[in-house]
Amino acid sequence: MTIWIVFALMTGAVALAVLWPLARVRAAPGGSAPGDEDLGFYRSQIDDIAREAARGLIGPAEAESARTEAARRLIRARAAAPAGPDGSEPALRRRRAASAFAISMIPLVSLGLYGAFGSPHLPAQPLEARLTVDPTQLSLADAVGRIEAHLARNPDDGRGWELLAPVYLRLGRAQDAASAYGRALSLLGPTPERLVDQAEALVLAGDGVVSAEARKAIDTALAQAPDMAKARYYRALAMEQDGDREGARAAFAALARSAAADAPWLPMVRARLAALDGTATGSTADPAIRAMVESLAARLAAGGGDAESWARLVRSYAVLGEREKAAEALASARRELAADPAALARLGTLATEFALTERR
Amino acid sequence: MLIEAGHYALVLALAVCIVQTIVPVWGARRDDAALMEMGAACALASFACVAFSFVALSHAYLVSDFSIRNVVENSHSQKPLIYKLTGVWGNHEGSMLLWVLVLTVFAALVALSRRSLPARLRANALGVQGAIAVAFLLFVLVTSNPFSRLSPAPFEGRDLNPILQDPGLAIHPPLLYIGYVGLSIAFAFALAALIEGRIDAVWARAVRPWTLAAWAFLTLGISMGSYWAYYELGWGGFWFWDPVENASLMPWLAATALLHSVVVMERREALKVWTIFLAILAFSLSLVGTFLVRSGVLTSVHAFATDPGRGAFILGILTVFIGGGLALFAWRAPLLRQGGLFAPISREGALVVNNLLFSTACGTVLIGTLYPLALEAAIGAKISVGPPFFNLTVGAIALPLLLLLPFGQQLAWKRGDALGAAQRLMAAFALAIVAVLATFAFARGGPVLAPIGVGIGAFVAIGAVVEISGRAFGRGVPLRVALSRALGLPRSAWGTAAAHFGVGVTVLGLAAAAWGTETLVVMKPGDRASVGPYVATLERVVPRSLANYREDVGVFALTRADGTSAGTLDASKRLYLTRNMPTTEAGIRTVGLSQIYVSLGEAEPGGIGVRLYYKPFVLLIWIGSLFMAAGGFWAMTDRRFRVGAPVRAAVPQREARA
Amino acid sequence: MSQTIATRRPMTRKSRRLVMIGTALAVLAVALGLVLFALRDSIVFFYGPTAIAEKGIAPGTRLRLGGLVQPGTVVREGDQTVRFSVGDGNRTMTVAYRGLLPDLFREGQGVVAEGVLQPDGSFRADSVLAKHDENYMPREVADELKKQGHWQDGAKPK
Repeated sequence: MTIWIVFALMTGAVALAVLWPLARVRAAPGGSAPGDEDLGFYRSQIDDIAREAARGLIGPAEAESARTEAARRLIRARAAAPAGPDGSEPALRRRRAASAFAISMIPLVSLGLYGAFGSPHLPAQPLEARLTVDPTQLSLADAVGRIEAHLARNPDDGRGWELLAPVYLRLGRAQDAASAYGRALSLLGPTPERLVDQAEALVLAGDGVVSAEARKAIDTALAQAPDMAKARYYRALAMEQDGDREGARAAFAALARSAAADAPWLPMVRARLAALDGTATGSTADPAIRAMVESLAARLAAGGGDAESWARLVRSYAVLGEREKAAEALASARRELAADPAALARLGTLATEFALTERR
Repeated sequence: MLIEAGHYALVLALAVCIVQTIVPVWGARRDDAALMEMGAACALASFACVAFSFVALSHAYLVSDFSIRNVVENSHSQKPLIYKLTGVWGNHEGSMLLWVLVLTVFAALVALSRRSLPARLRANALGVQGAIAVAFLLFVLVTSNPFSRLSPAPFEGRDLNPILQDPGLAIHPPLLYIGYVGLSIAFAFALAALIEGRIDAVWARAVRPWTLAAWAFLTLGISMGSYWAYYELGWGGFWFWDPVENASLMPWLAATALLHSVVVMERREALKVWTIFLAILAFSLSLVGTFLVRSGVLTSVHAFATDPGRGAFILGILTVFIGGGLALFAWRAPLLRQGGLFAPISREGALVVNNLLFSTACGTVLIGTLYPLALEAAIGAKISVGPPFFNLTVGAIALPLLLLLPFGQQLAWKRGDALGAAQRLMAAFALAIVAVLATFAFARGGPVLAPIGVGIGAFVAIGAVVEISGRAFGRGVPLRVALSRALGLPRSAWGTAAAHFGVGVTVLGLAAAAWGTETLVVMKPGDRASVGPYVATLERVVPRSLANYREDVGVFALTRADGTSAGTLDASKRLYLTRNMPTTEAGIRTVGLSQIYVSLGEAEPGGIGVRLYYKPFVLLIWIGSLFMAAGGFWAMTDRRFRVGAPVRAAVPQREARA
Repeated sequence: MSQTIATRRPMTRKSRRLVMIGTALAVLAVALGLVLFALRDSIVFFYGPTAIAEKGIAPGTRLRLGGLVQPGTVVREGDQTVRFSVGDGNRTMTVAYRGLLPDLFREGQGVVAEGVLQPDGSFRADSVLAKHDENYMPREVADELKKQGHWQDGAKPK
């Protein structure tokens, strides 16, 4: 509301300033005759020439020629000046018309255009003030913004980059996550975990493709920690994508054998194995499980599902090897739960876990 | 709130300018003093509004308010304070706001010079300026609004283009804009004269200081821009005949012609129609320049953000103002009364030749700049017109211009004495010949034409000295009398001489460029390379990390041929982190008026690529332009133009109270 | 004053005007000739690799070659000589250049090289320009901004 009062005051002040000469010139005793200004101009010019010449600022010859010239024009201007008092009827009408024009034009044009281009509802948001807001009030995106601002000031804070990277991943900013891991790697030195995390981010950023850069990070990690399951998984995936299906199958199988029975990533490995065996797309799955999943999907499609159910649906599809459907479910879940940052973060983790990427 | 108030103020300024376009012109037709005064009030009010809005935007930059898109796109919270501020006009939207601000500043100044301008001329000129302001305010609001907001606001901006993070940016665009927009005053006066149907010496006297100011600012702006490109781009060149540079050169050439023809008008009331035409042309060319730069129709090495929509809008403005101006000219110019007579060999005649050559130069630059555009439209082929074209044509036109300059200055008004002028110039000519011979004798290498260039530069510079000394000293005049006579010469005479001297100095600097050297080598620490008469040793390469960039600095030691040290210089290769953008920072060591210029390239097998230049007397180029601008400013303060200017004590009490 | 001059010199308004117009025309004619002469020698055509192949441009022709620097083709051969391929999505052409590359030269970005077409179908450049733009930013960053809603669609001037 205050902003509209401010606008009204500004408009009023400007309109007053514009109309000021009307009031002033009319109030002058007798007014000034039209053409007076010209006469005054030449008269004062002649006076000034005399003054300057007297002070020796311009030469006598120049002064003389300037004076005659001004005098000639003075005579011409006097001859041209029409007579007629200023307060005449047409003059008053003109002034009324001019002031009506100005008074209507200024608010109409300015409010109309401002209505079209302005954003009166947005407050100013200086950075300083935004950075001192209580942290618990922050949304995830704002929190990330603050960490980013901190890192912009201290680009050599490796720990900061390492903390930020998984958050990026959860937010779906895989490319940023990869470069943040890259910064952490160069500042804190390579460990197998960091290398694999970076590789994972790169794979996600590349829509599931294990790039040469990711492959290099994985190989380096495996050279240091040959048993690392995550690294082995991605290497197997890389082999699969390179067309080495046999090698990939062997690697996945070895990974599955070495896994503990309750390893959370085991279903993923199984799904890959199933896909490689050509038995994927649910044909091996128990029809009962399938029916359960479909009914869950139908229920959620009707609306009102909570984060837990959505996560279960995504997970189920992924385990069944129906990656298309899983990605689809993930996308709808993100739409449904857009208002719940915790749920979004959870979905993000899920997406990472199954290397699901959404097509946008 | 401040930011929205700033936005509103801009809209308010537009509304006020609409009133300013209509009311004073109407008042002038009806001879109504009150309505004419309303024009002045409007100009002051719109200036206040635009200034407020500029302050609001600058404030948003200073506090890094990232809810404004313009700030997000061009600023960064970690940027040094000075670049936060210069970032305001380091981008399209902000620079157009600055353009409008300068426009309203000039309109406000016209509004305030109540006593030095005839009322109707002032009212009509304010009306024309109001119309220009309306067009550009609409352009800013509709196509390039600096106040558009983002919600939710990001926490960090994208930083200003690193090339623009330089003190050069703080001064170069504002100077250039003051020049461009200053020409709008000459345009407004020309149109006002046409509307009124009256043009005389009073008009010329009123226009001359404004034109001088615009010209001097334009000169400074172009020369600063050229020095900035010289040290920032790392190519060692100072003028590339790039469309953007041509866009600023064309109005300058037209303004220079205008400056000289206004002198003829003021003294002799001749060349009226031509002067009016030049005033329209000069501003039209600065509009064309704005169009070329902002629309992206020409590919340029410094193509800043370009946008066809904006181009179309500016093209519209261009058509309205150039078309309108020329139509009014065609309609009213025949009514103007003929001026005084003069013989072909006279000061007027010399100034006519000057005008002819300057407009021809302007025309050839225009052809060279637009030819690619026309050819592409006609046959679809993409071409570029390179520096050889411009060097040849502009060089060929500049040659007679420079040779005739000192002669013109020696000719009398109405009817001159060519032989007498030549006799008075004997000394200058003899000294110039000595300079040529000395250059031949002492300088090694370089093309044959270069010593002749030195001779021409010397002739022009000494001719300018003769301009003053000839008027003060005479046979048998005692030194004291001569000195006081020289000091008593009008400021415009001194200003003219200074500007012409500057031309000579710049020509000397350009001629000396022929003895420059350029070496391309791969160096590793400890390696040596010769640059002109010096030897540069790469001592070490050190990495450095600062607020928003990292750099590798190559430290070079310079030694003279005899082994003594000539100092060190640092050249660096920077990486700006936010935009992940590399820049080259040339290392420059100034020795006297010459410079040694080193820029670093990429890491190579076996070292780092280094380009070394020796630039003898290169500073003369810019020193000359400083002389020109200073001459312009000095002439502007001449008493004769201020005859009739407000004198404090003379202000009547009535006005003082109001 | 002007009358005395006019009587002393047989220079009427008409003849004065003729002298002026004559001088102007002479200067303009010379300038026009100069412009035409200079234009013939100093215009340089701009082509992409495809256009060069299609038009069958003769080797030895001076021209400007424009396109994208093909990723992975930049080879530094030492002594500041660089070799890279420029492509327009259809064909590519090898460019050799000796000198410092502009700061904005990088793989995948637009570039304009001016030089001479060689008999072997390659291109020897003597100057290389990379376009710079105040809105230059890596694509990834722009995409990320878009995803995060920091960037409204259509906001980026094209």
